[in-house]
Amino acid sequence: MDARLRRVNKEIADCKNDRSSKIQLELVDDSPFHLNGSFPGPEGTPYEGGHFEVDIRIPESYPFQPLKMKFITKVYHPNVSSASGAICLDILKDAWSPVLTLKSTLISLQSLLCSPEPNDPQDAEVAKHYMTSRSSFESTARYWTHIYAGGPDPNAKDGGKGKDGQRDEVAIAGLEKAHVNQFEALGFERGKVIDVLRRLNYRGVNVTKITEDRVVEELLKP
Amino acid sequence: MSDDYSDDDYYYDEDEDMMDAEDDDGSAPSDDDMDMEVFDNDFKIPGKAVKKSYEVDAEPLSQAQVERLMQADVDHISGIFGVEASVASLLLRHMNWNKERLIEKYMDNATAVNVDAGVALAEDEAPKAATNSRVASSPKFSSTGPTRSTRSFKSSKVKSPSPKREELFVCPICFDDTQTQTMSLSCTHKFCASCWNAYVTGKIREEGEHSIRCMAEGCALVAPDPFIHEALGNDTATWTRFQGLLVRHFVSCNRNLKFCPYPNCTYTVSCPAAATKSALLSIVPTVVCGASPDHKFCFGCAVESDHRPVICAVAGMWLQKCHDDSETANWIKSNTKECSKCQSTIEKNGGCNHMTCKKCKHEFCWVCMGPWTEHGTAWYSCNRYDEKASQDARDAQSKSRASLERYLHYYNRWANHEQSAKLSMDLYKKTEQKMEEMQITSELTWIEVQFMKKAVDEVFKCRMTLKWTYAMAYYLERGNPKELFEDNQRDLEKAVEDLSELLEQSIEPAEIASLRQKVTDKTVYVQKRNEIMLEDTANGFLEGRWEWNSTVDGLD
Ligand SMILES: [Zn+2]
Ligand SMILES: [Zn+2]
Ligand SMILES: [Zn+2]
Ligand SMILES: [Zn+2]
Repeated sequence: MDARLRRVNKEIADCKNDRSSKIQLELVDDSPFHLNGSFPGPEGTPYEGGHFEVDIRIPESYPFQPLKMKFITKVYHPNVSSASGAICLDILKDAWSPVLTLKSTLISLQSLLCSPEPNDPQDAEVAKHYMTSRSSFESTARYWTHIYAGGPDPNAKDGGKGKDGQRDEVAIAGLEKAHVNQFEALGFERGKVIDVLRRLNYRGVNVTKITEDRVVEELLKP
Repeated sequence: MSDDYSDDDYYYDEDEDMMDAEDDDGSAPSDDDMDMEVFDNDFKIPGKAVKKSYEVDAEPLSQAQVERLMQADVDHISGIFGVEASVASLLLRHMNWNKERLIEKYMDNATAVNVDAGVALAEDEAPKAATNSRVASSPKFSSTGPTRSTRSFKSSKVKSPSPKREELFVCPICFDDTQTQTMSLSCTHKFCASCWNAYVTGKIREEGEHSIRCMAEGCALVAPDPFIHEALGNDTATWTRFQGLLVRHFVSCNRNLKFCPYPNCTYTVSCPAAATKSALLSIVPTVVCGASPDHKFCFGCAVESDHRPVICAVAGMWLQKCHDDSETANWIKSNTKECSKCQSTIEKNGGCNHMTCKKCKHEFCWVCMGPWTEHGTAWYSCNRYDEKASQDARDAQSKSRASLERYLHYYNRWANHEQSAKLSMDLYKKTEQKMEEMQITSELTWIEVQFMKKAVDEVFKCRMTLKWTYAMAYYLERGNPKELFEDNQRDLEKAVEDLSELLEQSIEPAEIASLRQKVTDKTVYVQKRNEIMLEDTANGFLEGRWEWNSTVDGLD
C-alpha cells in the first residue's frame, strides 16, 4: 500500500480510538486526503464553548510536506485571517516536521487559540486590536465564538441585551456603540463608519490619540 | 598564522593553474567550429589582436571547476578548525561562504557557530541517556587525531530476528514496523532509511534546499553531505542535483561569480571586473559561459543578454520607460503598415527596411515611411530626431506631446531593430535554402557558401547594437559627443540596411561570384562599423565622455 495512504489511514483510526483528546476527523469526500477536523475552543479563553472546524488537505508528499489547514469557522484571532480563515503557524510552514500528525497539528491549533502571537500576525487589524486593548479584543473574540462557533451568548448573563439571532455589526467589528453613533450622527453611513473605525483601530487608548478630524478625513475618502 | 586569514574575495586566484587544467566535462568544439575558423579568416579585420575596450575579462568555469574552488575553501577551514570536511562545508554554507566572518565568529564562540549552523545541538538539547552516541557538541569536531571518525551519523541495520525483542523498531513517520534499515544524525533521532530517502529527495527536488534538517520536530541539526549521499542510496540523479544546488549557493554568495542563466546550463562565469556597482557604470560586462557560445549574458543585469553598447543602468531605465509607456507605443510594434502612397497594407518580411509596395511599386523606408530614394544615396537621416526640422511642429504642440514624440522617435527605431533582428531568423532559413541552391547551381563548396550565413549573423548582431544605441541616444544630452555618436550610429545603420537588402535579393546563377564578393565586402564593412560603434561608445564610458539628460542611477 502507498505509504502516504497507510499513514493517513492509521492516523484517522488512532484519532477515532482516542476519545480523550476531543479532536474529531471526518472525511469530506471519498478521499482520505481531504478532511474536516474539529476541536472545542480551549477553556479559559474567549473561544471556550465554541466548536471550531478546520479544512485539512493532505498534500501529495505528506508527511514530508506540511498539512494544509485553514479555519472553516470564523475566528477572531491575530494569527488567523478574519476573512479567509488562513492560519499563520510555524509548524504549517518551515517548522513542519514529518513526525507531526493530523492530531498533533490540530492540538497545536487549539493551543494557538490559547496563546496568540501578535508579533507574527496573519490579520494585522485583529493583531492591532489585541495589542491596543486586551479586554476589548477578548469580548470581540467571545462574541465571534458565540455567533460563529456556537459558543454561549456573552450578553446573556448581564440581562440579555441585544435581540437573539440578530448580529451586532458593531460588536463584530470590535467597536463601541457610542463611537459609531457619534460619527453616524455627523451624517455618515453606518457601514462606512464601522469600516473606518475598525481600520483606524479606534479602541482603548487610541480613541484619545486619534482626532475627530482624522476620522472625518478618512470617512470623506471615496 | 595571519597568512591563513589574509585571502579575500579573490581567493580563487590562488588556484589558477588548477582552473587552467583541461576540465573533464567541458564541451568539445564541434566540427562546425573548426571549419568556421578557417573560413573566418576571410573576415578578419587586420590588427585587432588586443582586447577591445567593449570586451570584459571573464572566465567560464565548469561545475567541476567551481566545485574545486568550494573544496579549496572547505579544506582550508577544515584544516584551521580541525574539523571534518563535511562539517567545514556546513559551517561555510551557514556563513554564506564568507571565510573571514566564519573564522572570526568561530574564534569568538565555536559552540554558538556550531549550533547556529546545525552542526551541533545546543547543550540543553543534547540527547541524554544515549548509550552509544557521542555527545554532539563542538569539541567532538575539533579532535584531529587519526582516530577521527569519518561520520557524525549512524546508519544501522536492525537485525531480524533481533536477539532483543524490545528492539522492534516502528518508524515514527511511516508507522512501518517492517523496515530494517534506520539512520540518524548525531541527535540520535532514528527514522527508517526509506523515510529519510523520501524526505531528502523531496527537499532537494521539490524545494531546492541544500540545508536539510533532521526530521524530528524542533531538531535543528543539519544533515552533512555524506549522510545525504547515504540517504539517497543509488539515486545519483538527485545527488547530482544536490551538488548543483551547492554550487549555485556558492556562486550566489560570491560577487565575482554568476551562474549561467540559460536553462539547464551548469556553467558559471567569473568576472571580477564587473563585481561592483561602480564598475557597471563604465563597462558593459557581456560574457559567454563555457558550455556554448550561444550562452551569452550580461554579468551586471538581467535586462537583456547583450545590451552593448549601453550600460546596465541606462538599459534598465529605457526598458522601464518602454514598459511604462507601452500603451501609447503599442501601435508601433504592429507588423503591418500602410503604403504611404496607395494605402494598401504591407506586411514586413525579412529584416530589410527598404520596402516596396507590391501594388503600386512605391519604394519607401519602413522606419520613417519616407521615400527610399532619399535614403539609398548620400543623404540618410533616418537615425536622427531632427530637432531643427521638427521645431515648427513642436512649437504648435504642447510640451508633453513633444516629449512623447521624442520618445516615440527613439522607441520606433529601437523596436524596429528588435523586430528586424527577430525577422532575421526567417531570413536565416531562407538563406540556408539559397546556400543549398548555390551549391547545386555553382561550383561553390559548402564552406564557400558560408558567406551568406556569416552575413546574416552579422546583420543580426548589428541590429542588436543599433537597437541599444537608440536607447542610449534617447538619454544622451545634446552636444558634440551625441552628434558623433549619432554619426557612428547612422553609418552602421546604413551599412546594415545595405547588407540586409543584398541578402534579400534573388540569386541569379550567373551572378553568384559577384554576389559573393559584394556580400563578403559588405559584411567586413558592417563588422568594422559595428566595431567602431561599440569601441567608441565603450571608450566614451571609460573616459566619462557621455553626458545624460536624465539622472542615471549611481552617477551624479
Ligand atoms: Zn519510515
Ligand atoms: Zn534530530
Ligand atoms: Zn551556459
Ligand atoms: Zn547589463
